[in-house]
Amino acid sequence: MRSRSRFLRSFALIAVPAGLVSWLVPVWLIAQAKDVGPPARAMTVKHWAYVRPLLPALPPVKDKAWCRNPIDSFVLARLQKEGMHPSIEADRATLIRRVNLDLIGLPPTVEEAMDFVNDSSPNAYEKVVDRLLANPHYGERQAIRWLDLARYADSNGYEKDRLRSMWPYRDWVINAFNADMPFDQFTIEQIAGDLLPNATLEQKIATGFNRNTMLNEEGGVDPEEYRYYVLVDRVNTTATVWLGTSLGCCQCHNHKFDPLTQVDYYRFLAYFNSTAEETSKRGGTDPVDISPRVTVDTPQLAAIRKRVSELRQTLDRPTPKLEQAQVQWEQSERTAAWTVLDIIRSAPRPAGVPGRIAAILAISADQRDEKQKRELAAYYRSIAPALEPVRQQVALIRTRIDAYPKTSLVMQELPHPRATHVHTRGGFLTPAEQVTPGTPAVLSTSNDSPSDENRFPTRLDLAKWLVSIDNPLTARVTVNRVWEECFGRGIVATSEDFGTQGERPVNQQLLDFLACQFMNPSTGARPWRIKSIIRLIVTSATYRQSSNVTPQLLEKDPYNRLLARGPRFRLPAELIRDQALAASGLLSEKMGGPSVFPIQPEGIWHSPYSSEKWPTSNGGDRYRRGIYTFHRRSAPYPAFMAFDKTTQEAVCTRRSRTDTPLQALTTLNDPAFIQPAAALARRIMQQGGDGTQNRADLAFRAVLVRSPDPIERDRMVALHDQMLRKYEAKPKEAEKLAISGLSVPPKELSIPDLAAWTVVSNVLLNLDETLTKP
Amino acid sequence: MTPRMTIDQEIRREALKAVTRRQLFRRCGTGMGAIALTSLLNEDLFAAAAGARTEPAAEPLAPKPPHFAPRAKNIIYLHMAGAPSQLDLFDHKPKLNEFNGQPIPESFTKGERFAFIKGTPKVLGSPYKFAPYGCGGTMLSELLPRLATVVDEIAVIRSMHTDQFNHAPAQLFVHTGSQLQGRPSMGSWVTYGLGTQNRDLPGFVVLLSGPNNPDGGTALWGSGFLPSVYQGTQFRSQGEPVLFVSNPKGISADVRRDSLEAIRDLNARHLACCGDPEITTRIEQYELAYRMQTTVPELTEISREPAEVHQMYGTQPGRVSFSNNCLLARRLVERGVRFVQLYDWGWDHHGAAMDNDIVHGLPQKCREVDQACTALLTDLKQRGLLAETLVIWGGEFGRTPMNEARNGSPFLGRDHHPHAFSIWMAGGGIKGGITLGATDELGYQAVEDPVHVHDLQATILACIGLEHTKLTYRFQGREFRLTDVFGNVVTKLLA
Repeated sequence: MRSRSRFLRSFALIAVPAGLVSWLVPVWLIAQAKDVGPPARAMTVKHWAYVRPLLPALPPVKDKAWCRNPIDSFVLARLQKEGMHPSIEADRATLIRRVNLDLIGLPPTVEEAMDFVNDSSPNAYEKVVDRLLANPHYGERQAIRWLDLARYADSNGYEKDRLRSMWPYRDWVINAFNADMPFDQFTIEQIAGDLLPNATLEQKIATGFNRNTMLNEEGGVDPEEYRYYVLVDRVNTTATVWLGTSLGCCQCHNHKFDPLTQVDYYRFLAYFNSTAEETSKRGGTDPVDISPRVTVDTPQLAAIRKRVSELRQTLDRPTPKLEQAQVQWEQSERTAAWTVLDIIRSAPRPAGVPGRIAAILAISADQRDEKQKRELAAYYRSIAPALEPVRQQVALIRTRIDAYPKTSLVMQELPHPRATHVHTRGGFLTPAEQVTPGTPAVLSTSNDSPSDENRFPTRLDLAKWLVSIDNPLTARVTVNRVWEECFGRGIVATSEDFGTQGERPVNQQLLDFLACQFMNPSTGARPWRIKSIIRLIVTSATYRQSSNVTPQLLEKDPYNRLLARGPRFRLPAELIRDQALAASGLLSEKMGGPSVFPIQPEGIWHSPYSSEKWPTSNGGDRYRRGIYTFHRRSAPYPAFMAFDKTTQEAVCTRRSRTDTPLQALTTLNDPAFIQPAAALARRIMQQGGDGTQNRADLAFRAVLVRSPDPIERDRMVALHDQMLRKYEAKPKEAEKLAISGLSVPPKELSIPDLAAWTVVSNVLLNLDETLTKP
Repeated sequence: MTPRMTIDQEIRREALKAVTRRQLFRRCGTGMGAIALTSLLNEDLFAAAAGARTEPAAEPLAPKPPHFAPRAKNIIYLHMAGAPSQLDLFDHKPKLNEFNGQPIPESFTKGERFAFIKGTPKVLGSPYKFAPYGCGGTMLSELLPRLATVVDEIAVIRSMHTDQFNHAPAQLFVHTGSQLQGRPSMGSWVTYGLGTQNRDLPGFVVLLSGPNNPDGGTALWGSGFLPSVYQGTQFRSQGEPVLFVSNPKGISADVRRDSLEAIRDLNARHLACCGDPEITTRIEQYELAYRMQTTVPELTEISREPAEVHQMYGTQPGRVSFSNNCLLARRLVERGVRFVQLYDWGWDHHGAAMDNDIVHGLPQKCREVDQACTALLTDLKQRGLLAETLVIWGGEFGRTPMNEARNGSPFLGRDHHPHAFSIWMAGGGIKGGITLGATDELGYQAVEDPVHVHDLQATILACIGLEHTKLTYRFQGREFRLTDVFGNVVTKLLA
C-alpha cells in the first residue's frame, strides 16, 4: 500500500486550477475523520441541476404553425435566437424507417411502409407511432440501453468468468418497458424489490439490476475485499444511472468540483452494505459463488418436465410383453440363486438384486400376495432391458434440466445491518469513522429520512428518495437519456454527468419541461411513463425534420445541437444485425428465455480455468435479436464489439460511435451478415417479380425502405449483371456463396443469379445509409 | 416474410415510388459540394477531448504530435502472464540458499496477506547458479543463457513493486493502472495520444501464446472509457489473424473489389443527397478495410522470412508460439504499428505440481522465451529498429522468497508476491547494461530505488514522448489518466 506522504505528494501532480488548491487541501485532510458537509466553498448559487425543475412557460415563437407540440416551441425559440430555421419534414419512407428503428429497433416491412405512404389521414403518422409503442419489440429496443446501464452480462467476469444465469432479469426489463411500468415503480423494484412487503418473484428478479456486478472467483483473492469493490460499483452505478452524478470521486476524497463529500459517499454505500455475501472461501483457497438467487419457470422447462412425466408413465405401465419378459427373468434369477445356494448354503440371495426383491423371488409365484407381485413387477420394469432406451432418455432430459439456466441473481438483505465506515483514501484496508445510511446532503431535504426515527434506513428508503418529487435529478437524467436515444445527443450532452463539470443543457427549459411532464403530466396522464415521453418526442415537428444538411447549416451547427435538422447517426451494434436479419426474412421473432449462441468464429471463448465452449444454437435461435445473444464479459460476441458495445464490466452510460475498418470487415465478411445477404437474395428472386430492375427495387426497399432513385437503381443493376457474368463462369464459387451455410435453395432459383443477388445484398447491407438511422 | 405482391400492391408500390422520387429531388438539393466540408470536422483530438468532449474526432487515429521529443516510436511489451520468479532469474539472493528450509522471521510476514500460503512459510533458496554478464556485470541466472549474450542492451529493474497480488487484478493494474476492469489499457492510451503511423494496420496489436489467454482477459487491451477505436486488436493465432479479414466463401478478391466500388458509388450518391460528412469517413474506412485485407495476411505470413531468421528465433511457421509472436512483433513495428503487446501464459510456478514448480516448470518456460527474446533484440538492432523501439519484459508481480508448499506439496514453488519483482527494458531511450534498484537480503522488499507500477507506466509514456500527467481523458466528471494520481518517471533508466 501507498504511504500517505507519497499519496499527497503525487496529488500535487494533478492539474488542478491553482485557485482551488487553497480550499481543497484542508478539506482533504479532515475529510477522513468528520462529517464535514459540503466543501468549504462558497456555494451562493446552487448548481442548476441541484434545483428542482419547474414547469417553464411556453416561449413565444414566430412560426406557430410549425409547432406540433410544446417541444417544438422550445426548440424553435432557441433557433430563432440564433437566426436559424428548422428543416422540412422528412419524406414518409425516411420517417417510418426512423421511428421504427427508434421505437422497436426493426425496419418496417415493405407493406407497412407502403401503407403509411399511402395513408392520407391527418393522423397517419400518429397511428404508426401508437402501433409501434404497442408492439412487443418495443421492450427489446428500449432494453438495450437499460441493460448497458445495468451492466447486464451472462458471466461473472474476472479471470474465471464463469457463466451465470441472469436472463430472467433481462426479460424483466423487456417486460417492464412493454408494460410501460411507471419509472418510479421501475426504480423501486430494481433497487429494493426484495424489501417490498410480500415481494413477488418478479420484484425479486428486478433487484438483479445491482446483482449484475462482477464476481471474482480467482484462487487466492479475499472475498471481503471483492465484496467491497462490488459495493463501490453499486454506489457508482446507482448514482450515475439515477442521479447523473459521478459519486465515484468521493470514494477517495470530497468531490473536487461538486458539493459532494466523502461522508456522503459512504452514507450512500451504507444502503447497500447489508446484503448477503456472494462469495466465500469456505476454508479453501478459491472463493465459491454462494450468491442468493431465485428459480424461475419457463414454458420450455414445463414442456421438458411434461415429457419426463410422460416417459415415467411408460416406465410405470405394465404390458403383457413386459410381464412375459419378467417371467423369463425370474427364471434366470432363480437358476442363478440356486447355483449360488449350492455353493454357499448360507447366502440364498440372487446376485445384484436387493434383499426385499430377493425375498419375494424366493416365494414361488403363486404364493405371492398382490403387494409383492406389484413390487416385483415395478422392480423388474426398473431394470427391464426393453425399457432401457426410455430410462436413458429420462436421464438425458434430467441432465438437460440441470444444465438449463433457470435462476436469477437477486439482492437479499441480512437480518442485521453491517456497520459501514468511511474508507480513508477509498482503500479497502483503511476503514475510519462509522456512518449510517443517508442521501447526499446537497440533494436532500429534511423529510428524506424515514418517519420512524428508530428504524434503520434501508435500500427501500433510498429507492423511494430517488424517485421522490423533491429529487431534482432523476427525472431530468431519465428524460435526457430518452432524448439522447432519439437525437443521438442529450439536451445535456454529458448524459452521465449533470454536475458542475458536465456540460450545461443546451436548452434547459426544454429539459425541465420534459422532466415536469414526466413526473406530473399536464395532460392528466399517469406520471412517470416512458412511453408518454417517447410519444411526445417522436410526434414533435423537431423529430420529424429531414436530416439532410446544407453546408451553411453544417458550418453553423456541425453537431446538430440546436436541432435545425433531424437526427442522423449510426445504429447501435445489436440493431445493425437485427436489421439485416429482418430485411432478409431470417429474423426469429421469438422473445425471452435463456440467451442464445448465434454463429461466431472459432476460438473466441478461450480463457484460463474454463473449458466452456460456445454451443452454437440451432435453427431459429441462430437468428434471434441481438439482445438475446449470450454476453460473456471476457469474450463478447465480436460483431457487437466492433460496433462499440462494451464488455459490460462496468456501467456503460453512453456508447461511443466510432467508424473503423474493423466494422467494415465485419459487415462485409462475418457470416452474421453474409447469411442475411444470401437469404435476402432468395427473397428478392422469389418476391421481386420479373426483371432485374424490379428485383433491385425490392432489394433496396427491403433494406432501406425508400425506393432507389434511377442512378442508384442503375448502379445495382449494373453490379448484378457484372456479377452474374462472373458467377456463370464459376458455378462452384456461385454455389458456395448462394448457400453460405443456409439450406439448399429451391431448385427453380438459378445459382449464379442467387450469387449475384447475394453480392448486391451484401453491398446494400454495407451502405452508410443502412448502418445509419436516417 | 413478405408474400408475393398482388396487383393492388403493385399499384401502391408505384405510388410509393412516385412520392419518393419527388422527395428525392428535394433531398438532393445539397449537391456534391458538401463533401468538401469534411475538413470542418477534422478537429484536433485533444481539443475535442477537452472542450467538445461528447463529439467524436473525425480522424481519431490520425498521427498526432507527442508532448515532447520521443526516445522511441514503438513499444513491444512482452508480458509473462502468471509472474516469473525474479529470485530464480534476476534477483540473486545467496542468503536464501543459506537459510533454505528455515522458517522466515515473523518480522517479514507479520500482517501480510498471502494468496495461498498458510502458517509459517519456510525460506526457499534458488536451485540456479547466478553470474555477472556483459560490460555492466548484470547478474543473471543460468536459466537465461541467451539473454546473457545481449545483456548490455537491457536495463534490469530489481525493485519493481505493485499493489496487487492476484493475477487478474495485478495484470489489469500493470496494463490499465487500476485493478478493476473498465479503464483504458496502456496501448489504448498510447494510440489515443499519438495516433497510428500505418493506416493500413491497427495501431495497437495484441498477440497471445501459451495454453491459455491471460487471466485479466480482453480488458487488458480494452479501451475502457476511451472510444473503442483505441482498443487493441488481437491478432489471432489460429484461423484468420484479424477477425473477418478474409472474404467469405464464394467471394473472390475481384468480386470484393467490384462490390466495394458499388458501395463507394452508392455512398457517394447518398452523400450528395444528404450532405452528412460522416459518409466520407465511412467511404475511407471501407477503403482501409480493403487494404487491410491484403496487408494483414502478408504481414502474418512469416514463412517467407529467410531460414536464418527462423533459426535465430526458433520459429516454426504455423505453430502457435511465443517465438512466432516475437517475429511477428518485429514485422509489426517494421510496418509502423505503434504498440505491440504480447502475452505468454504459464509463469505461475507455485509448486503445487511438477509442471508448475521451479525445478521443472520454470526452466521449461525459460527455454520457450529465452531464445526468442534474445533474437528479437538482436534482430531489431540489426535492422536499426532497436533505437526507436522500446521493449519491456516482465510479469504482473513477483514471487515469495518462501516455499509455498500448498497442502504439503513436495514440489518447490513460490506464492504471489507484490513487494518486489524484476523486469527488464531495452531499446528506445533505455540505458543498456545497467541494473536498477535492490531488494533486502531475502528479496522480500524493494529497498533501493523502488519502482512502482505507476512509475513504470510514467516511464514508458515518457520514452514515447508523452507526459503521463497530461495524457488525460474526461469521463464521468473527472480527468482520468493511466497513472491515476501517481507515478514518477524513473530518469535513471533513461539514456
